[in-house]
Amino acid sequence: MSNEQLLALLPFMVLAGASIVVILMIAARLSHTAIQVAGFLMLCFTVLAMGYVRDILPQEILPLFIIDGFAALYTGVIIFSVGVVGLLSYIYFEEREENPKEYYILLFLATLGAAVLTISRHFVSLFLGLEILSVSLYALIAYLRNRNNAIESGLKYLILAALTSAFLLLGMALFYMETGSMEFNAIGQKLAGSDPGVLFKLGLALMVVAIGFKLALVPFHLWAADVYQGAPAPVTAFIATASKVGVFAVLMRFSLAVNLQQSEFLLNVFSGIAIASMILGNILALRQQNIKRLLAYSSIAHLGYLIVAFLPGTREGIEASVFYLFAYAITILSAFGIVTILSTRMKDAEDLSVYRGLFWRKPLLAAVLAVSLFSLAGIPLTAGFFAKFIVLLTGANYNLWLPVIVLVLTSVIGLYYYLRIISTLFASAPAAEPRHKPLHPFFHFVTYATLFVLMVMICVLGVFPGPAIEGIRQFLMIR
Amino acid sequence: MLRRSLASLGMTNTSSRHPEPSEASVRDRRRIKERIMENYLYLIPALPLAGFLILSLLGKNLSKNLIPVIGAGSVIGSAIAVILLAIQYDPENPVRQILWQWFSSEDLSVAISLSVDALTIVFLFVITFVGALIHIYSAAFMREDRDYARFFASMNLFICSMLLLVMADNLVLLYLGWEGVGLCSYLLIGFWYEKPENSRAANKAFTITRIGDTAMLIGLFMLFQEFRTLYIPDILNNVSQHFESGSATLTTIALLLVGGAVGKSAQLPLQSWLPDAMAGPSPVSALIHAATMVTAGVYLIARMHGIFVLSPEAMAIVAIIGAITLIIAGCSALVQTDIKRILAYSTISQIGYMFLALGVGAWSAAIFHFFTHAFFKALLFLAAGAIIESLHHEHSIFKMGGLRKKMPLIFYTFLAGAASLAALPFITSGFFSKEQILGYSFGAVNGNPILWVVGITGAFITAIYTTRLMVVVFWGEEKTHVSHLPGPAMTLPLVVLAILSIAVGFIEWPHNLMHVAVFSDYVQNVLPATVERENIAPPLVLQGIAIFMTLFGIYVGYMNCYRKPIWKANNYQTPLFQSLRNFWFKGWLFDDLYNNVFVKPFLFITTVNRKDIIDKIYTGISNGASQLHRMFSVSQNGSLRWYIGGVLAGILIIVTIQMIV
Amino acid sequence: MPIERYIFLAIALFCIGIAGVLIRRNAIIVFMCIELMLNAVNLLLVAFSKMHHLKATAANATAGIEGQLFVFFIMVVAAAEVSVGLAIIVMMYRNVHSVDINFLNRLKH
Repeated sequence: MSNEQLLALLPFMVLAGASIVVILMIAARLSHTAIQVAGFLMLCFTVLAMGYVRDILPQEILPLFIIDGFAALYTGVIIFSVGVVGLLSYIYFEEREENPKEYYILLFLATLGAAVLTISRHFVSLFLGLEILSVSLYALIAYLRNRNNAIESGLKYLILAALTSAFLLLGMALFYMETGSMEFNAIGQKLAGSDPGVLFKLGLALMVVAIGFKLALVPFHLWAADVYQGAPAPVTAFIATASKVGVFAVLMRFSLAVNLQQSEFLLNVFSGIAIASMILGNILALRQQNIKRLLAYSSIAHLGYLIVAFLPGTREGIEASVFYLFAYAITILSAFGIVTILSTRMKDAEDLSVYRGLFWRKPLLAAVLAVSLFSLAGIPLTAGFFAKFIVLLTGANYNLWLPVIVLVLTSVIGLYYYLRIISTLFASAPAAEPRHKPLHPFFHFVTYATLFVLMVMICVLGVFPGPAIEGIRQFLMIR
Repeated sequence: MLRRSLASLGMTNTSSRHPEPSEASVRDRRRIKERIMENYLYLIPALPLAGFLILSLLGKNLSKNLIPVIGAGSVIGSAIAVILLAIQYDPENPVRQILWQWFSSEDLSVAISLSVDALTIVFLFVITFVGALIHIYSAAFMREDRDYARFFASMNLFICSMLLLVMADNLVLLYLGWEGVGLCSYLLIGFWYEKPENSRAANKAFTITRIGDTAMLIGLFMLFQEFRTLYIPDILNNVSQHFESGSATLTTIALLLVGGAVGKSAQLPLQSWLPDAMAGPSPVSALIHAATMVTAGVYLIARMHGIFVLSPEAMAIVAIIGAITLIIAGCSALVQTDIKRILAYSTISQIGYMFLALGVGAWSAAIFHFFTHAFFKALLFLAAGAIIESLHHEHSIFKMGGLRKKMPLIFYTFLAGAASLAALPFITSGFFSKEQILGYSFGAVNGNPILWVVGITGAFITAIYTTRLMVVVFWGEEKTHVSHLPGPAMTLPLVVLAILSIAVGFIEWPHNLMHVAVFSDYVQNVLPATVERENIAPPLVLQGIAIFMTLFGIYVGYMNCYRKPIWKANNYQTPLFQSLRNFWFKGWLFDDLYNNVFVKPFLFITTVNRKDIIDKIYTGISNGASQLHRMFSVSQNGSLRWYIGGVLAGILIIVTIQMIV
Repeated sequence: MPIERYIFLAIALFCIGIAGVLIRRNAIIVFMCIELMLNAVNLLLVAFSKMHHLKATAANATAGIEGQLFVFFIMVVAAAEVSVGLAIIVMMYRNVHSVDINFLNRLKH
């Protein structure tokens, strides 16, 4: 391994180092605040390291990793999401009785897993990344162990995820049998000429299952709502953003390497999954009264939208999907940020009644939530509209009319339930004020500031998406 | 500047439509143009936007006197800007101002750019000028309302979106404005949200127009796929090279756009939201649901005329939609008792005339009718609002009566508006614009006698219901006591609008009577001229019949309502008449029809209990969706083994399909 | 032995695992069944590894090594998964005094 290759891995090593730093700090009995600050600094270092190594990209570290602009973009979205989740976590865990410190170890490990997924070009790194992510997530979901819901959702996720990893492995094994290789590119080359056998096709289908599970696509979506509801709000935000970004990145890289989109059949399977996700996600959300479950269903639908950008398998599609994921991450993080802030000690703010008349009590929080819901609904001049729009353009460009039409139609259904929440925000009859344990005012301020910045970002991305698109394009040139 | 624009206004039809001076001189002039214009083009939408921002952010802290100053002032400001622009405007050089590049990918770049041509100026003028008058009126009308600031904030946002819609030169920006006005309409219909039926009306309006919007969005994507651009001038310039006349793709695109237009303009089959939308305050009905937003569909079709010209089928469908709508809505207006619903149906009917004109290729006639209609219909709504307020929020016309003596000013202004609506010959603007449409529905290449007969019948019906409205409300005995008279802030806009709704007709005369064609000359650089058939009946005869029918309609209305009042509430002679009245009263039972054709079978299939059957398509759709929601929610039963089973079933499905294929 | 026999054995083990996951109610046994599925894959990978090694020419002595390496990673990960899983099951037992997965039904709709 040359020096440059080692250097290119620097951001990932910093990320791995972050969890070790946290372990050492816990051993040294430092306070939650110190750990939070140190964790945030480590994330900043990761970003700095990414900027530092930018010039030497792309680097291929055979056989496991490839670090290129594509990976940098997805990793960037992951790090950004985790940064926000970390900030939100402080006030959430500070007021709960459980010891919050170990939480950060798990959070950084899960981040490492998701980041490894973005750079993997080999089944081994794919599997390891996915499992680092999953195993940390099991513990994170069940972190508030005295709450029955947390354990239940943790165990549900654990069993289902383990089951689907077994399918993933079986699929990989069948691939290995057919091609004798575990590298994406080598597999792609071997497949180019020959007609794949039955077992190989079976393997491909099984891998689709595992990916579909992680992305919560229909028909593998059943876990999503329960886990979103049971997990602590910041962890839910993490599942909705970072973990999906990582898995989607590896799906994209793998399908590009093996020319997945060339196969008429797989294209149809994916469009079917996308259409089913869009329809079912939106319909399930329609009358939902629990906001965490509602966001879970909406995320099913949104991942369905995202798959429309995945279908063409072109650079345009990648651009659209990166922008979509970024816009989606910002939006969903601000929504879960509000849930986090409004949560009380024993119960997350998941019931819609908590939000009744929020505007009259906390106008800033209500405005952030309203903007993020507008963005989820795809109202023009928000990031969500633009993201949806370029996805639609990509789809229309490649004659994917059925998914495009379903996307437009289901967005109309979506509008209904987002507007329902927004009108709740402005309703009169304010509910009782949830009381907060007095917190360090600085962190309270930081959390509010973060949410405000997220809201501004949603608007800015909606109004001036040009620079972001340009930046994405330039990063994708590094290959 | 002024001199040149006046000169161009006087240009006759003989001058070439596309003067082609040397390129360099055009560029030079354009450069000069931009230097003068670009300084304030963006101000036109920016002022209402600023008003919206101030009012929505600081609304709670502003004094009751300052709110209307900001709210109405911003619109007046942009009205002044529009008038200045119109004076400086040179019809040969459309003005374009690029504010910033919204985004650009290699395929598509969309700039936030505004451009202004004659068509836009007509709309701009109506939006800002009528808008300003309505804002002044609202300052007094809404003064006692708790949410004074919210009202003006939403109205300003509406004006801003509407201006964006008509100034956009690419379809993305246009769509943005399109959605924006829909959202504001939703907010304002449900303005008094405490009453559940108001929220229901708002939801219904929003949902039904979204159906049209969806069609339109798909049309936009198809356009993009064909032309690789959404910049309107590029599309219009290339469409004739790209497609042959009558191409199926082009017709599909055109029909999808018509779908959007039909939803927004409340035409058949998506018309049923507009009467319910009258739940909003009267100024909202005047501004959004009479003068501006509902004509956005007309604007869209006129703006994309290049596509329609090449698709005769789509044109024919537009004309037929317009013709059927104008009859259906006119008949409904005949029997309504709520003053605002009468006006709402008459709006649908008048927009039907505009669609008819668009469909037969009488582009400028359609826009001219929009122009006159905006004045007289806004006037009628505002006057109706003043009446309703003075009569303790009484909406039924049969509880009004005798207002001629009690509210003379309202009477005279309302009379001007009603005369214009009924197209009283030679002295009202409605006559001139409607006569033009009727003439072209016969004489244009796409026109035919049947359309003309329908139009004439519509004019007859219009005259009847207008007379009925006038007679019942203003003559007879007083039934509700007039509590107070509207103040000057409310009457001033009425007077201005009354003068305009009489006067603006004179800028465009039937060409066989007098050669005044200011309006059609003004828009001739933008819209294609109407091609007429040869060897048709002499226009004078057609006009004579039209005038006769109108006068006859007024006579019939007068006889029936004043002399022998047969249409009083609860006073029907024959069962046939009663059922017909009932049929028309319920808007031709469209809600019921939808209910029977779509909703009931659906509900039946999903085995719903019969009690849940509802009478409106909107609630039908939403109930159907909730049923689906309940059905699918069963799958989320929380049982881990069920989830495992779900995953395995998913695998099984995919693998099976894989093995079969 | 021909490779098909390995495949049949592995698939059989895998299906037994699936059946166990689907019908057993005890969370620990469900875990064991998932382990069984993972080990079926391990067996498959080792068999394929050997197959590719035999197919490869003498010049490429390391051919097929990836499969066997992968098995080690799978074993490690499976162990990690089980340790976290058992911890969660212990917590579940503390809360509901049972390890029956049918008790996991409070989160729904």
